[in-house]
Order: sequence, then structure tokens, then C-alpha cells
Amino acid sequence: MSATMKNALRISGALFLIAIVAWLYQLKEGLVLTNLQNSYSWGLYISGLAFFVGNAAGGLVLSSSIYLFGVKKLKPLAKLGALTAFANVTAAMLIVLPDIGKPIRLYNMLLHPNFMSPLVWDVIVLNLYAAVSALYLYILMLPDLTGPLARFAVKVADPAGFSETWARRIAPVALLFAIGIHVITAWIFSTQGARDWWFSPAMAPDFVSVAIGVGTAVVLLAAALAYGTGEKYQDAYQTLALIVFMAVCVHLFLMMNDLVIHAWFGDAETHRIMEIAWGDFAWAHIFEVVAPLAGAWLLLQERVRRSLPRLAASAGLLIVGVFVHRFLIMPAAYNNIPMTMTPLGLPGVHWSLPIASGRFFPGLSTFLDSYAYAPSFIEVVILLGIMAYAVFLVLLAIAKLPILAKEVS
Amino acid sequence: MKMGMVIDLEKCIGCRSCMVACKQHNAQPPGTWWNRVFTPGSHHHLTPPAKGIEFFLPVHCQHCENAPCAKVCPVGATYHAPDGAVLIDFERCIGCRYCMSACPYGVRQFNWEAPEKAHQRAGYQEHYRFGYPEDHRKEGRLVYAPLRPKGVVEKCTFCAQYRDKGELPACVRGCPGKARMIGDLDDPDSEIRKLIRERNAFQLLPEKGTKPTVYYLPPKAKEI
Repeated sequence: MSATMKNALRISGALFLIAIVAWLYQLKEGLVLTNLQNSYSWGLYISGLAFFVGNAAGGLVLSSSIYLFGVKKLKPLAKLGALTAFANVTAAMLIVLPDIGKPIRLYNMLLHPNFMSPLVWDVIVLNLYAAVSALYLYILMLPDLTGPLARFAVKVADPAGFSETWARRIAPVALLFAIGIHVITAWIFSTQGARDWWFSPAMAPDFVSVAIGVGTAVVLLAAALAYGTGEKYQDAYQTLALIVFMAVCVHLFLMMNDLVIHAWFGDAETHRIMEIAWGDFAWAHIFEVVAPLAGAWLLLQERVRRSLPRLAASAGLLIVGVFVHRFLIMPAAYNNIPMTMTPLGLPGVHWSLPIASGRFFPGLSTFLDSYAYAPSFIEVVILLGIMAYAVFLVLLAIAKLPILAKEVS
Repeated sequence: MKMGMVIDLEKCIGCRSCMVACKQHNAQPPGTWWNRVFTPGSHHHLTPPAKGIEFFLPVHCQHCENAPCAKVCPVGATYHAPDGAVLIDFERCIGCRYCMSACPYGVRQFNWEAPEKAHQRAGYQEHYRFGYPEDHRKEGRLVYAPLRPKGVVEKCTFCAQYRDKGELPACVRGCPGKARMIGDLDDPDSEIRKLIRERNAFQLLPEKGTKPTVYYLPPKAKEI
């Protein structure tokens, strides 16, 4: 293990441990340590869920490209794809825990599941995707489980042939669950008729397209960090960059399509949404459009793909842009109070019923109809810690398991 | 039997007695209000938004028949009691707050911290407790507790603890103008059904399809 690898493991591991301690502290004190309140009840953690779920799409892109569309040049990166998928989908499940008021009672999901709830569907599909990603990774590693790792290998006559056959069989199943995690995570939001910002049939396809873009960018970044930007995988990188760019374009189209339709009719709810989205959060919105587009466009350039710092910066820009996009799921939903009315005798007036915050904020009214949410310190620490967990897991697996192609490892 | 409530806005004087009675009887921690009364169109209560226009709107859980909160609850902690009231099982709620996003009426409230700590933070006198003092179970499920566990969601129960003893909800009893009434929506001859029919009752956000069981009787325009 190189010194850089050791330090990276130490730092990411430490950040993850800090997040666990922070979460235990939050468990003791309550969610009062976040900056959430009743009218703005989901924040950074649930944005984090959407973010990690999106990042997990890399495995899907690789496996379906290789086994369903026959793009053989991506095969050496398949294991990295499955690994980043597993790391991110488990991170997605982890980041939900600190958002739960009574995580100790999660067993109720098994004892009394309400199958009408999209959250139950999401828990099921996230777990299935995590399991199938782990299984897929294992099958791909099977021929290389030699030496001290041989005891973990299932005994088959022809490990290479067995691995190839089963990888091909698992790929379509993995694809189904992979699409499922994005669609169902989107449905958690888009089934909510109370929130005009979310209540849109465009959300699920948009989640799929963002995920294909950012998930592939995560694999591209991981591959470049692991293998460098030499000649060997340039062909594969080019294909990945093309997938990223197309997915980002589809995502921006779906998003703009939704905004235009919302804005065109121009009812009172939409006015309020546009006020928030393009008023208070105008810069963030510009960034969520420009950053992924610029990042994806830069990755299309050969000289960017041939330089590790440039590739990393471009992929990083895209990932940060998508993160901001995920953060922006919340403000226009929560600062647009669903309970609005035109008071009797006052046509033309659009009045929102304030919501009791449930918290004691000195200097702030108990009844709020808008709230400037910014995550608290502990929310940021926990989110960073879960990001560090995903990095830690990927690095540890690369260090200990036959993930990378032999000639470089 | 399907529980329903009628609120006569002609009789409502905006005194907020129901708000206070509700808060007191149901031991709501500081910052939590199951029942709220507003002056629609105005940022300040009891301040008319325009000359000659002033009416008040009490809003609490609408106990919807097609309740989004019950549908989204992953563990069935929010459920319909046999009489149609929407209740929360404080022992089952996992505190995911999905219901709070799903409710269009903004009536669901979270326990961001333990109530004792919230009391302290708001500067309540030490050991001061108010509200119905005992836990209340309905078919074994804990639907009322004077001290709620930290990390669960709560809201109006139509005072389950009182109704199960044959008493009226605190807001109905506390209204000096007798603007509130509960009854059976299934019975076409019940007093509330009669009022709904004769007085052009309306519901809040009917376009959301939630089918609230709380009905409002419109006020007459004020004489200037």
C-alpha cells in the first residue's frame, strides 16, 4: 500500500468516525441540532440521499454497456463501476439514518411495512441494488480470488467462464434495480401532490438522466485516479465522457422542459416557485445548469482526458454541480406553503397559511411562511463523513481486493 | 360512523380560545400548535387585510379520508381510526417526517427535542406541566401522551382521549361563540350534514383530492 493510499484511508476513515460521533450526539439531543423546522422538514440529509443514489448509477452504465450493448472496451472498468455503485448506494442508505427521529424503531419497517409508501419501495430497491452490486462485484472478482483470498472463492471448475456467464446473467437484473433506485427515489418527491415544485412526471426520468451522467463521471474519475490518464484506457474514457455528456444534456432538457411548462401557465403557485428558484437561489440555479454542462463538455475534450488534474477538476465540477442540483430539491418545495388560498372577498390576493415552526428561535416568529434554511454545522459534518465513508470503502476495496486490472495492481 | 367537524366562520370571532384550549389540553410543547387561527389575507391576526373584510380561519388536521400522510407513512404509524379520525401511534412513528412534506395543510409537527428540554429552552417554570396528564391508548396504540417522545410527529387527534370518554374535543368546548360542532358525516340527518347542506359548506384545498372531514361554513360579508 502506498503512503498516499494510507493517508487517504486515514483521513477518510477519520472523517467517517467523526460523523458517527456527531450522529450519536444528534441522537442524544434530537434533530434540534439541525437547522430544520416544521415548515422546512427535510434538508441536507435528504438532498444527500438523492445525491448518493445518483452517484450509484455507474455500475449500471458499465454492466449494461458491456453485457447488453457489447461495449467490450469498458470491461476492465466493470469492477470499479460495481464498487462505486455499492459504496454510493450504501452511503445513500446511511445518510437517511441521521434524518430519522427514532432510528432505533426502524425494525417497524419489517414488522409493519405500509406498501403504499414509496419510502418502503425505496428501502426495498436500495437494499436489492446494494446486494446485487456486491454480488456482481464478487462474480467479476472470482477469477482473481487467489492466494490468501482463495478461501473466499466458490469452488467451480472454470472460474473465468463461470464469472463471465453469471456476470452476463446478473447484468439485466442489476439494470432493473439500478433504474429502480432512481425512479423510486424520485417518486418519493414527485408523488407529493401537496408540493408543486415536486409534483411532476418529469422528475423520475430526470433522476435517471442525472444519475447516468454523474454516476458515470464518478467511475471516470475513479478510473483516472486508479489507472492514470495514459494511452491504455483512453478509448474507454472517451466512451464514458460521451455517455456523461449525453446524459447531462438529456437532464438539462428535462429540467428546462419542466420549468417552461410550470412558468408558462403562470398561476400563483408557480409565481412563488419561480420567485424562489430564480430569485433567492438564482446563482445556485445558474450553477446547477452551468457546472454539469461545462464539466461534461470539458470531459469531451481529449486534452482534458489526457491530464489527470484537468480530468479530475472537470469531473469534480460536474459532481459539485449535481450536488447543488440536489440541494435545490428542497427550497422551492418548502418555501412555497401548500395551504394557500384566495381569501373570501379578496380576489387577486394569494395568501399562505403560516406553519408553526415547532422550535424556539429567538428573534423569529413561531409561525413561518418562509424560512431561509442553511444546514447546521452538524448536518455538514455528518454529510461530509458519509461522503468520506464512500471514498474510504472504495479505497479499502482497491487496496485489499483484486479490483484493478492485474498489470497495474 | 364517520367523524366530521363543522366550523362556522360567521360565528368565529378570532379569539383563539380554541388554539389555547387545544395547546393546553394536549400538552403541546413550545413552538407547537396543532390548531391555529388566522386572519386570511393579513400578516397580522385580527388586522383586516382590507376595509370591511375580516374573517378568521381556524386550521388544524383536516382528518382527510384520502390522507396523504397515512399513505406515505412507511410503518403505518399514521392511520385511520374506525371512526375516520387520523391518529398517530407515538410508539411506532420512526420520525422520518415524510408525512410532514405530504400534508398540504401544514398541520403536522415534529418533536425536534425532548419536551422537557423544549420547556426549559422557552423559559417555562421548572416542573410546570399542563395538559391531560395520562397516556391514552386506542386499541392498544398510544395516540396521546402528555410527554411525547423526542423524534416523533404529532398533530390534532380530535382529542381522542376525551372523545373515547364521550366528551367533546377541547376546541369545541372552549369556543365561546359555539362555532365548532362535531358529528356523524355518514348520517344524512345529522346536524353537521344539515349545516353542510344548507350553508354551502366548503373544504380547504378540495382540489388536492384529500377529502377533508372538516367543513367550513362561509361568513357573510361584514357591514361597514
